[in-house]
Amino acid sequence: MSDTLLSDGSVAQGCHPTTEINAMVNGRKVKRTVPNHYRVIDFIREELKLTGNKEGCGAGECGTCSMFVDGKLIKSCLSPVQKINGCSVETIDDMDRDSGMSLLQQAFNKCGASQCGYCIPGMVMAATSTLRQNPVASRDQIKEGLGGNICRCTGYQKIIDAVELARDVQSGAKPHSALDEDSATVSFIGQRTRRLDSPAKVTGAIKYAADMFMPNMLHMQVLRSPHAHARIVHIDFEAARLIPGVECVLTCDDVPGVDNFGVFIEDQPTLARGVVRYVGEAVVAVAAETLDIARAAVAAIHVEYEQLPTLFDPHEAMKDGAVQIHDFAQNNICKHTRIRKGDVDAALAQADFVVEQTYNTQSIEHAYLEPEAGLAYLEADGCVTVQSPSQNITHHRHMLARILGRPINKVRMIMSTVGGGFGGKEDMIYQGMLALAAIKTRRPVRYVFTREESIKASAKRHPFNIRYTMGLQRDGRIVATKMVMVSDGGAYALSTPGVMNKSAILGPGPYAIPNVWVDSIGVYTNNTPSGAFRAFGAFQSEFATECHLDLCAQKLGMDPVALRRINLMRDGATTHTRQQLDRVLAVECLEAAIKAAGWEPGVPYRQGHSQPQRTDFNYEGSRDFYLIGGKTKPSVPLNVAAHHTQGDMS
Amino acid sequence: MLTFDQYLTPQSLDEAFDVLQRVTGARLLAGATDLLPWAREGRAGDVHLPAVVDISRIALLGGVSQEGARIRIGATTPISALQHHPLLQQQAPVLGSCALWFADDQIREQATVGGNLVNASPAGDTQPALLALNTHVTLARRESGRILERSVPLSEFILGPSRTLLQPGEILLRLEFDALPHHGVSFEKVGHRRSLAISTVCIATLVRIDTHKRIDDLRIAIGAVGPVPERLTDIEDLLTGVKPTPTALREAARRVADRVRSRSRQSYRREVLSNFVERSLNTALAHAGLDLPHLPKESEYV
Repeated sequence: MSDTLLSDGSVAQGCHPTTEINAMVNGRKVKRTVPNHYRVIDFIREELKLTGNKEGCGAGECGTCSMFVDGKLIKSCLSPVQKINGCSVETIDDMDRDSGMSLLQQAFNKCGASQCGYCIPGMVMAATSTLRQNPVASRDQIKEGLGGNICRCTGYQKIIDAVELARDVQSGAKPHSALDEDSATVSFIGQRTRRLDSPAKVTGAIKYAADMFMPNMLHMQVLRSPHAHARIVHIDFEAARLIPGVECVLTCDDVPGVDNFGVFIEDQPTLARGVVRYVGEAVVAVAAETLDIARAAVAAIHVEYEQLPTLFDPHEAMKDGAVQIHDFAQNNICKHTRIRKGDVDAALAQADFVVEQTYNTQSIEHAYLEPEAGLAYLEADGCVTVQSPSQNITHHRHMLARILGRPINKVRMIMSTVGGGFGGKEDMIYQGMLALAAIKTRRPVRYVFTREESIKASAKRHPFNIRYTMGLQRDGRIVATKMVMVSDGGAYALSTPGVMNKSAILGPGPYAIPNVWVDSIGVYTNNTPSGAFRAFGAFQSEFATECHLDLCAQKLGMDPVALRRINLMRDGATTHTRQQLDRVLAVECLEAAIKAAGWEPGVPYRQGHSQPQRTDFNYEGSRDFYLIGGKTKPSVPLNVAAHHTQGDMS
Repeated sequence: MLTFDQYLTPQSLDEAFDVLQRVTGARLLAGATDLLPWAREGRAGDVHLPAVVDISRIALLGGVSQEGARIRIGATTPISALQHHPLLQQQAPVLGSCALWFADDQIREQATVGGNLVNASPAGDTQPALLALNTHVTLARRESGRILERSVPLSEFILGPSRTLLQPGEILLRLEFDALPHHGVSFEKVGHRRSLAISTVCIATLVRIDTHKRIDDLRIAIGAVGPVPERLTDIEDLLTGVKPTPTALREAARRVADRVRSRSRQSYRREVLSNFVERSLNTALAHAGLDLPHLPKESEYV
């Protein structure tokens, strides 16, 4: 479709001039005609269907699209396709030269260097480039070589271990048998357990949703709200519908079933219904023959909005008279979880010390390396199937059945390989549109988010405001804890009720406290919805608790570890929600941690002041060790500390 | 997304000028590493151009050579060449230390030296090092069939953020700078992280010491702390002819804090800039063979 010329010689809407590309790709001669705006990554993935290398950001930041062009490693999302004309390209798909796994891939497999696997193709390519340029690269040089590649799961250690292992096997310093997979042992505890999907991930063979193609597949694009809160007056999609290649245009009017869904509260429409409540909310979806046509169609849709008053601060949103974002939610309160144990006010009145402080945490994007993607299709028996990296497929399936007005046995969810989720793929935000488009067009439909779209439309970690009051005895025993937490849930509930519960239940921490008061309030605002994110709310409330204990230790003149040791729950303890515990290993856990950390007891504000400056690590921020050319010297003499005197420390 | 009616790959300068003359609104492209991310949501959004002119295959715009006491490099020289080209390693090692901090391995293979100058980002990493090397840039235009060149100092070429002396229809041909094989060098940079970071502060220092251990040539240039990179000529004058001591370096460092003219993170930048001046002088002197003890310093930020 992309070379469709109209009779006057101009190009049809959504179509682009084409260009012929001649190149060697993975040792094979390739000659293809593609739209002239293609980047190298589009050519490799969409045209040649070599999906080993992924696209994570489209802006040169993440590195998973790294491939060799004439032996030089480049980021293929930053390169126009015309640049590979006459060149030789190597992608991850053929790094093994059809021999199973390259040495580096074997090392990645051996070290368990892949988790979600989405960054791994780029990591393997960058490691290959590093060892090709410098077969004796040091650990620091390996880190430099992988500097342009981001991994969100591993923390990099196993990846760097793997490159070191490959280097040593390559040089003969370690035997080839060092790459052999560990054999299964009787017990898994304390053992390195082999990942079953690791070979497929290190070779790029595993398919994520964006790597899937089906015959006759359509491409989806979505028009999103530019406003935080507005009434939809009119949607004009006639011009979009008439573009050749547009197969369907969907609005909320096309939803056949009950168009209200959500994990806890059913408040979400598949596509905005009458009102948009945050910037980035889906309003119209288009499925078309090509991505370019779908994009052109979205650009041709006109939506008339009437702006409504907006709320961006949860405290403002809770006030009487504030505009109500959802009809059913009085004072915009989405969820209020309360814990009441003992008499907090009386205990605070009698405490030797009362320490108060307010804590704020911010909204956080999960930034999994795989942007959301999905593929939906209709099977011969009328069953609609959606493949997507959903972290909650059973629930999604139930919600889909209601949205689509179909019996549950005519809806199937397949969880595609998840390229990182961290909770961010638990809440359903696009699978409904996909299923609907597949039903309407009777064709497979694929939707792949850009990084920008993913950040705009997906849920975030709840930002919390926590007012903390704690009463303690002189000896450090906590007599009462009061936490009032207000959290920005954003425009739709998503996982907010669950997050409020968890933050309340776990918030006061693993401490035996006789009097506890917790309010955890999730509030609707016109911000991007907040949802599930690792630790599900406990992260925020426990952050406040642990900060607060350090503050209390300071006020009491105590060692912060000692303060915790006094208060930790022990065998037979009752939790804040009155669960009777049998064995509690919190003290043992703490002792093991402080031993490993080399903790030096003392009041918080005196920590470290008695210690001389450390000189046993590289001078921070210096790259002089890797200086290329010229004389290389460490920039800092190792006897820096000798110049320090006690007087300087005061 | 960046779209265009034509993508043209001229093989010669004349062909490139033909295109610029024929297609109004044609845009030059070399590495493309900034142009493609620029045409995305959040920055310029979807951009359509009548033509994109890829000048990376014009032989005249490449190449690295020495002309007496000056080094000449073509505008489309990739950043990676600053690290790996033997002549540059030997004659201008400061470019290698600077390139090491530039984006990452992959982008250094794609991005070009000329691109980093014509973009004129206040945080362009190569600018301070090139400024310290007394770089001149050569610009070419075509008038009535003749190609005319003009050479301007880099310090005058960059006018402000995204603004240069380059006129429409003009092409940056090459750079020429001093060959300084015997200078001690240092390049320092801080950003949000180590790779792929936009500079918050960067600095390039070159120093030569004479047989009496006196500084006989000093060049310091700073970037990312104002709209354009600049040379610290007052510090250069202060220390030239002087036998450097730790106290003299500390004094120089103290004087530069007020050079910060960027709009954000001013107090942080002031402290870092001051520390960088001292540390990069120390490093460059050590590189030139003069090790000075470091004065201890407490952070002003506590």
